[in-house]
Amino acid sequence: MKKQCMLKPLIQISHAPITSFASRRRALSSSSSSSFALKNVTKSNFESALNDLRGLVRDADFVAVDLEMTGVTSAPWRDSFDFDRYDIRYLKVKDSAEKFAVVQFGICPFRWDSHKKSFLAHPHNFYIFPRQEIPGSNQSCEFLCQTASLDFLAKYQFDFNVCIREGVSYLSRSQEEEALERISSTFMDESSDSVYGLREDAEFPLVRMADVLFAERMKNTIREWHASLLSKGSSSSEIKQMSTDPNQRFQMVFFKTRPALALSGFTSRQLRVIKSVTKKHFKDLAYVRVAGEATSPQQLIVYTDSNDDKDLLMKEVKEDLRKEAEIKVKSAVGFRHVIDLLSSERKLIVGHNCFLDMAHIYSKFIGTLPLTAEDYVSSIQKYFPCIIDTKILLNANGVFQQRVNKSSTSLSRAFVSICPQIALGVKTSGLADRPCVEVEVQVDEKRSLNWNSGAKHEAGYDAFMTGCIFAQACNHLGIDFTLHVLAGGLPKETKLQNYINRLYLSWVSGDIIDLSTGKCTTDTSASSNLKSRYQEISFPSIVLLWGLTSKLKAREIKACIVKVFGPNSISSVYHLDESAVFIQFSKPELVSKFLEIKETLSRNSDPISVLHPLSDMLNANCTHAANYDVYHQICSSPISKKLFADQAEAVGIKHKTASSRAEGKKKGNQVNRVFDEVVDDMMSSSYGYSETDRSADSFYIDEALASK
Amino acid sequence: MLQRRLFCTRISKTILQSNPGHNHSKWSVKQVTKSNFSATLEEISTFISDSDFIAVSLKNTGAYSAPWQRILPIDTAHTAYLKAKYAAERFQVLQFAVCPFSIRGSKLIVHPYNFHLFPRDELKIGMPSYSFSCQSSYLTSMARQGFDFNACIYDGISYLSRSQESAAIDRIGNASHITRKVQSPSGHTVADSVFAERIKSRVKHWISSCRDTNKKPEDALISALRKIVSGDEVYGSRPCLSIDVCSERQVHLVLETLKDFVDVIPLLTPAKGGMTMSIRVVLTSSEEDKILLQKELQNEEKEHNKRIRGFREVIDLISASQKPVVVHNSLNDFTFVHSKFLAPLPPTLDEFKSSLCEVFPNVLDVTHLMKEISPLKKVNNLPASISYLKQRFFAPVDMEISNQAAEATEVKTLGHDVLKISELFAKLYSILKIAPKAPEAAEGHLPDAIECYINLFNPCFASSHGLADEGVSVWTDNTRKISIKNLVFLWGFRGGTSAGQLKSLLYGSHEVFHNEFDVRLVDKSCAVVVFGNPGFSEVLLQLMDSGGICTSTLKEMLADGLTAAGYEAYQKVCELGLWEADLASSFERALEENDSFSEAHSQELPGICWNNDEMINLDDL
Repeated sequence: MKKQCMLKPLIQISHAPITSFASRRRALSSSSSSSFALKNVTKSNFESALNDLRGLVRDADFVAVDLEMTGVTSAPWRDSFDFDRYDIRYLKVKDSAEKFAVVQFGICPFRWDSHKKSFLAHPHNFYIFPRQEIPGSNQSCEFLCQTASLDFLAKYQFDFNVCIREGVSYLSRSQEEEALERISSTFMDESSDSVYGLREDAEFPLVRMADVLFAERMKNTIREWHASLLSKGSSSSEIKQMSTDPNQRFQMVFFKTRPALALSGFTSRQLRVIKSVTKKHFKDLAYVRVAGEATSPQQLIVYTDSNDDKDLLMKEVKEDLRKEAEIKVKSAVGFRHVIDLLSSERKLIVGHNCFLDMAHIYSKFIGTLPLTAEDYVSSIQKYFPCIIDTKILLNANGVFQQRVNKSSTSLSRAFVSICPQIALGVKTSGLADRPCVEVEVQVDEKRSLNWNSGAKHEAGYDAFMTGCIFAQACNHLGIDFTLHVLAGGLPKETKLQNYINRLYLSWVSGDIIDLSTGKCTTDTSASSNLKSRYQEISFPSIVLLWGLTSKLKAREIKACIVKVFGPNSISSVYHLDESAVFIQFSKPELVSKFLEIKETLSRNSDPISVLHPLSDMLNANCTHAANYDVYHQICSSPISKKLFADQAEAVGIKHKTASSRAEGKKKGNQVNRVFDEVVDDMMSSSYGYSETDRSADSFYIDEALASK
Repeated sequence: MLQRRLFCTRISKTILQSNPGHNHSKWSVKQVTKSNFSATLEEISTFISDSDFIAVSLKNTGAYSAPWQRILPIDTAHTAYLKAKYAAERFQVLQFAVCPFSIRGSKLIVHPYNFHLFPRDELKIGMPSYSFSCQSSYLTSMARQGFDFNACIYDGISYLSRSQESAAIDRIGNASHITRKVQSPSGHTVADSVFAERIKSRVKHWISSCRDTNKKPEDALISALRKIVSGDEVYGSRPCLSIDVCSERQVHLVLETLKDFVDVIPLLTPAKGGMTMSIRVVLTSSEEDKILLQKELQNEEKEHNKRIRGFREVIDLISASQKPVVVHNSLNDFTFVHSKFLAPLPPTLDEFKSSLCEVFPNVLDVTHLMKEISPLKKVNNLPASISYLKQRFFAPVDMEISNQAAEATEVKTLGHDVLKISELFAKLYSILKIAPKAPEAAEGHLPDAIECYINLFNPCFASSHGLADEGVSVWTDNTRKISIKNLVFLWGFRGGTSAGQLKSLLYGSHEVFHNEFDVRLVDKSCAVVVFGNPGFSEVLLQLMDSGGICTSTLKEMLADGLTAAGYEAYQKVCELGLWEADLASSFERALEENDSFSEAHSQELPGICWNNDEMINLDDL
């Protein structure tokens, strides 16, 4: 059944409209039977898929990954902004990775076949769902869904039922450790043995008549059996009679080479009665609960020779239970085995714009995300030493930029423009007269050279596309794959050194983070258009203003502040959301001045304050202002309110002006002088520091008169 | 109507005959998604107005994130509300079952519907819900019941709450037929009259040019240019003129001017922010045509409203009917209803009650009615309540489902809770001898017997009436009221300590721990100590503060970080919304938040019920 489709299209088309590509593809695909589904993995076939994947990943030259999540931003203001410093960008990614769930995980190992001079790809599509597999875990599996993201997934026919019912569950490393620790502490601690039915707990009080009768009957039955055991041979009929009990409630079995009675068909209350009867009346019988063949536990009454034997038995049972629980935890690890596999093989991981993807992988399967980008970067390097972002690759290389319109480095578009022979099924001359890399796809036993039957935004297919783009890009860079297969790995290739381990922290700003150094740089080529729009952002000169009452426009805010601080005081005003703005001042000193004025205005309600030009805007009770550090503080909070103003309140930035408190106290007495300074600024239109004795009162009256 | 009744009896008879055991799974509940919503809306509106009661039940994506965030017996009505509020704000309703029903003797006539909801942003305005939380255990249990998540997400009905709708109206531009009264602007300036005159002549010319039948056929380019210049458009099949305005005053002037023209209907095109961008003047050919257009506009508005409100139309129907609404867990369900379909939840229970009362004046909670029958026994879930009643009372109820189409072959089990609520209520109705004083006659008036159960939003342990306070010991299976003054929260003890261990550690360590006291774990990090003696809680708190005389065990525990706080701290935690994963860290945050804690909290502290059975006990888990 290993039918290889090596039908290569004979037509050579260099430049033809896409529509004709598409129609031809359809014709081709029908002739080459390349439309088989990619490998979907759920609970039922996970074990076998994992086993297959082990070999595939081991042999792979690189592994492409892609994730589908239940959402991206937990609130509109958590989106990426131009005014975000790189630490803020990390906080936003961290928030997203911590809150949302991954529902689909695409993994596609690529292996270079030196003989055929083509890649062999194995696209896998894992449905995953954070089910609570092990009981007793205190962590509630809760995740956020962004309505728009679910809608988006639905648009691309994502199957939520498969995901929720059949999805593979997982435990992160820290969750696993915690669970194992809990098990060991449970088995160490004698007092909590009751959980496993081992502790000889307090006698079950027989209060009901039915219980008393039942206990008596059980006592007799057990005594008979006990007696029959002791008088070996003579009473085999008795046992026989018992084992042919129509209800099969007692069954003679052997448990760890000891004769035992297996109990079945009793209620839990009855079992408790039996247990207490056994304990009370039969010193050499032990009541134990072990895991049965099915999921339900099995209760046994076991005969022991002596007290030592009984202790031994209990120890053995305990050990079994412990192993059982550990196996359960191991199997609950589930999908994380795949991540462990990728990590232990130390393969080159290829993703498309994958900083968020990697953060998800870290937080779901490795542990809690560190607080800072630096810590995170050094930590993830331990698990994934080589990561390549195809988005970086495409943007950094001039030749691709010609091909790929810069605004459209979205995965599917890049795929069509970089790998038309795969995406559209035609053979083109390739980039710069280099032949295209051929990618053969294998799913189970089926193989095809021009496979293209995945759906966009299906993680497995996205991973496949990403890998194809990477292969093509490497080919273009002049990388000889055959050489690397022999030499041992693409990561060592010098031509890739400029791209390896460099990820877009945020595509919007073009901030690139280098995973090996933790340094953050800005990709000038990608974001040149952005930086030209906004002059260099100086974070110390930014004031964050929120809780604006009316729907103030940025222009109005600017006009209002310019009135007080002079015409060149503000370089820009930027809306964070409808309730908050960033105000970029021209100098950092103006920030503290602004904050102090704000504080004074909110404290006083005397005529000076009322007449102050800023008091319109800064409605004292609900408007708050703060410097950039407070923005950091607000972003690092786990809370996510929809409006920024609500968020700030929830985080507990209560004081009207959240400048540093100590500073506020120190300067409290100097407020008047600040006013004077402002006056001076107004008068001279310069920011020189000068002392005047003119009182603030008189100025504002002047000002009020002047405006008449 | 008669025909339907006949029809429904026939179905119910066949079902009853084939299945005398009243098996619920045989009943089929009509499942409603976006595709059949419009048709169902018509149907259910008649049932709602014809029935005596309406049962509702909700299926949410989760309930609480941490064990202590459940509504516990230690909660007062206030803290319980805050917990319910927190859940309602974060989780999402995916299924909303509505069942209008009537009781006729022993016959229960039900019309169950199960609506599948999804907060899709139909209007691209970021509403009704930006995001929501899910608990995977809730989703898996829904999946086990056969819930189709694809149907829900692809085809679920969206909605907007009342407050969202009014906010949305600003944002979505829809040519609405003017309904508001145009007050004449006070005092015309010269500029105003010039403007009005210009509009008048423009409209006049436009009308005459439209009426001018012997128009010469124009060049396509010229007619296109003319359209741009004159603002000539077509509204449906009718000619229409667009007049740009730049202020509300101009809007008034234009509308006033247009009153002089009989055949035109003005339409306002709103711009962002609730302002009017332009006025479109639609010319009708005759008086009849004008009426026709007005009707068209009205229908359009109705459709538009339906599109905006979505499922909330059902809520509005229930509300408008003023029928008693029967639920199983009123606090939980109605906090969801309020936050999703009415407005954001207010900060206090009283505000919530009064706000809700305006929309749903009669809410009946079957749990509270159950309490009347078995005040001591905890019968919390629906099937248990029904079987409890079956064991003890003879109250036959024949259920009749009437809204099922004949082809109801596929038995849908989703939304069955609403049938159980109806059945339970019908049983209680007959057991409690709530005499049906011809409910049809007493429109909107309930029999006095259940009047007192209306609008109780207390969690049922904190139920306010008729509980024995006759000195029953707390340590038996009985319930007794305990003032929250007698509760002290303790945290900072060694992890994994059980309530029993803690109690034995505390026992005898101080004189307050000699007498009656009990210790329960609220979650694994925090315990609550209950004193029988009223003053002891303060003694303990003072002791902990001062670090005064105590035995070595207690001293050691204090050194290890044992901390105590009174009930106000707990209230504070709930009020400030410090919903940490474990209660101990919430307390820590609350203490950070406010160092001057003990002051200004001398309000009347309400009592709560203490019931051994209801206490969460981690030992049992």
